[in-house]
Amino acid sequence: MTNPIFWVGVLTLAAIYASLAMALNVESGWGGMWDLGIAGLLAAGSYCYVILTADPDLGMRFAPGLSMWVAWPLSALFTGLVAFAIGAPALRLRREYFLITTLAFAEIIRQLVVIQADLTRGTLGVPNINRPFDSFVTGRDYNYVLLGIAVAAAAVMYLVTRQIGISPFGRTLRAARDNEAVALALGKRVNRMRIKTFVLAGVLIGATAPVYLFYIRAVSPQLFAPGITFTVWTALVIGGLGSIRGGLAGAFVLIVFTEAVGLIEVDPSHINILVAIEPFMVGLLLVLVLRFRPDGLFSERSAFGAGNRPAGRSAGDSRPAGAAQGSGG
Amino acid sequence: MELVLDTVRKTFGGVVAVDDVSAVMPQDRVTALIGPNGAGKTTLFNAITGFDPPDRGSISFGDQRIDGLPPWRVAELGLIRTFQTPVGFTTLTVRESLLAAATPHFAETPLGALGLSRKARDHERASGDRAEEISAELGMADLLDVRTDELSAGDRKLLEFARSLMAEPKMLLLDEPAAAVAPANIGRLSQLVRRLCDERGLGSLIIDHNLSFLMQIADEVHVLDRGALLASGPPAEIAANPDVMRVYLGEDGAKDSEA
Ligand SMILES: Nc1ncnc2c1ncn2[C@@H]1O[C@H](COP(=O)(O)OP(=O)(O)OP(=O)(O)O)[C@@H](O)[C@H]1O
Ligand SMILES: [Mg+2]
Repeated sequence: MTNPIFWVGVLTLAAIYASLAMALNVESGWGGMWDLGIAGLLAAGSYCYVILTADPDLGMRFAPGLSMWVAWPLSALFTGLVAFAIGAPALRLRREYFLITTLAFAEIIRQLVVIQADLTRGTLGVPNINRPFDSFVTGRDYNYVLLGIAVAAAAVMYLVTRQIGISPFGRTLRAARDNEAVALALGKRVNRMRIKTFVLAGVLIGATAPVYLFYIRAVSPQLFAPGITFTVWTALVIGGLGSIRGGLAGAFVLIVFTEAVGLIEVDPSHINILVAIEPFMVGLLLVLVLRFRPDGLFSERSAFGAGNRPAGRSAGDSRPAGAAQGSGG
Repeated sequence: MELVLDTVRKTFGGVVAVDDVSAVMPQDRVTALIGPNGAGKTTLFNAITGFDPPDRGSISFGDQRIDGLPPWRVAELGLIRTFQTPVGFTTLTVRESLLAAATPHFAETPLGALGLSRKARDHERASGDRAEEISAELGMADLLDVRTDELSAGDRKLLEFARSLMAEPKMLLLDEPAAAVAPANIGRLSQLVRRLCDERGLGSLIIDHNLSFLMQIADEVHVLDRGALLASGPPAEIAANPDVMRVYLGEDGAKDSEA
């Protein structure tokens, strides 16, 4: 078998994807806003962090050289602002148009990063991302520190999103997702609530961005191609859209599975076949999970009220009849 | 306080769905709105509640003009409607649906969710008690933990009503609340509607095709025919009105409760 450091890396990546999937679940699972712009928000948070912390010697036009502990929360807030700028217009659109619009915005952000080269170093990218504690722990041992950071971030994300899910706020989100007209008829400010939720998801994704950078160590625009959005979505769907633990479980299953496929030993001349087979295997995993657990590993149903309770009376209404009144006109 | 309609008109292409309707509905009375299928009753509800604003005319509630306001704003003013087709919050349980209806705005923000203020918790607990009370009164206490999409059509109809009671209404607008509801529960429903009005001054405007149900509880009846108001008056007077009889029997006869 491969060495433990490899698996430490895999688990770190899984924890990062788990954080992203749980953040996505808040807006898409409970909020019903199917967001295909995760990559864009992640890019916004990442570049904010990189620019704020970059070594001034790299020659970027704006490089305040802030401490990472200051830059980290600022990146989260900045990503929230970007989410607001995207969400305010996009949330006026119906679901399928919203989906395309968020995807387009993500690509626009990526192109902006390329074009604004004097600010971002464009396609050159920025090497040697500042990482916490790397002056104390060096070499291979740092991988364990990184795993600790990623797992702690995922744990915080779990607690935060779980609290949102079980709160009255989360309940109203699900209600408005299920039936917008009824929510409006009850006085819910559906649009305002959705924008807030979209911004919240942006903040959560922005807060995860630096952890992703600690893992990648260098940033460049091609990191934020749409592929990452689809990986996060796949993780969430496998784990269970709308559940509480789904994003967490789905990301670990998906990432460990994907990395394990990469480990299959083949003759070097066949390595390109293995690479080609990877997405196919991911697709197969998705199909298998959805075939046997259509709601994902954890379902929304098991997460909330109606878990294992008996089903309701069937149509026909077999209630014992009391004083019958008012039968017709 | 009253709900006042002044020459309200709504057309869909060439169809005049609501034809210059003027009426005054006291907020603390039970008012019935009847008329054959397609008379424009639901369209009028949509106009009042901001879902489909009128082409012209004005609508006010108390001293506030409400035509042109968004639905959530009309609801905030206390006009709470139900829907003719009871879909509801499909994946929420009955209890969750009732609680969601009662959740105040201050608890409906991300920070509200994280902080969970004491005020919000007290509100939540009080709402929980009220949800149990209301569902018991409607004979659906045993359904509290059943998902909405697993309820029978009649129970979903009752849920529409129960949910609107949770939203601190000043006046209810009920679109065919008795349709598909089991006879025993229609009895509970009429008693509750009447009692809310008599004891708490919570009036309602009720559309239904079940005339015996309506005639028992209504203080006043308005009859809509092809968009226009045909007659208004106390139930006994309406029942004796030959024009009303003609509209009901002339079309395709009186509608039964399952319409
Ligand atoms: N959105 C719409 N677009 C076009 N026509 C509509 C629309 N809504 C209603 N109508 C038409 O307006 C008229 C009134 O319909 P409405 O639903 O208000 O009747 P109703 O009195 O509620 O009938 P029912 O008792 O069957 O519920 C009908 O002719 C209907 O076809
Ligand atoms: Mg109707």
